[in-house]
Amino acid sequence: MKRDDKKKAPRGMTVDARKSADGQAGPRAGKPEHESDDGMSPALQAHIGRHIRAIFDEVAQEPVPDHLLQLLKDLDQSGEK
Amino acid sequence: MPPNVSPGLRDSLVAQIGSLRAFAVSLCGDRERADDLVQETLFKAWNHLDSFKEGTNLKAWLFTILRNTYFSERRKRKREVEDTDGSYAARLSSRPEQYGHMDMKDFQAALAQLPDDQREALILVGAAGFSYEEAAEISDCAVGTIKSRVNRARTRLGQMLELGEPEDDATGGPPPAVKSA
Repeated sequence: MKRDDKKKAPRGMTVDARKSADGQAGPRAGKPEHESDDGMSPALQAHIGRHIRAIFDEVAQEPVPDHLLQLLKDLDQSGEK
Repeated sequence: MPPNVSPGLRDSLVAQIGSLRAFAVSLCGDRERADDLVQETLFKAWNHLDSFKEGTNLKAWLFTILRNTYFSERRKRKREVEDTDGSYAARLSSRPEQYGHMDMKDFQAALAQLPDDQREALILVGAAGFSYEEAAEISDCAVGTIKSRVNRARTRLGQMLELGEPEDDATGGPPPAVKSA
């Protein structure tokens, strides 16, 4: 009987957060932290970059709402007349 | 009267609407308002197409119009109601409570807590694909200013998202947990 196996599968991040709390000393334990000039690890910087792009791209890839296309059409026609 | 707009230019305009909407949404955090902003931007752009030099960066030109529209509207509002940084965040339903478990909502809420100029710089450079130089032109400031805004935006997001509690710098963050008495 499998119940909520699927529901339980959370995003990777959520799972990892717990794991790392149990098993590792800290983020990227053992690895030397290269810090950029603003004192931030490249991993975190990349993480932020991915998220901000995801927010942006999600909207950018949506179909253009009709009322905006219509606006341009209307403007175009009013210009020709 | 709008100029005689070439079909090519009109198509280029249409092709930028997606990016414009994305910029508007990530800037103001409110889809409805974002679409109003885009609509106003397109309207203004259309009526000033004669001031656009064909062959130059149409996307940057449109982004400039949109952000100017956004910021002037925001200044107006600020005069009417004292409108602190929290107002943007307050419009979003969720606030970041578990920074370690960052998902998209947490990130959006954290982004919303940034000052406008930092959020703008981060979006332009980090998501919209502009160079620092282009972003500086769009925001009408020095390249160094854009760089420092982007850095401060990242640092602050990093603090909110990774550290969880802004222990050494409590500006604008949630109240730190009381450890022990």
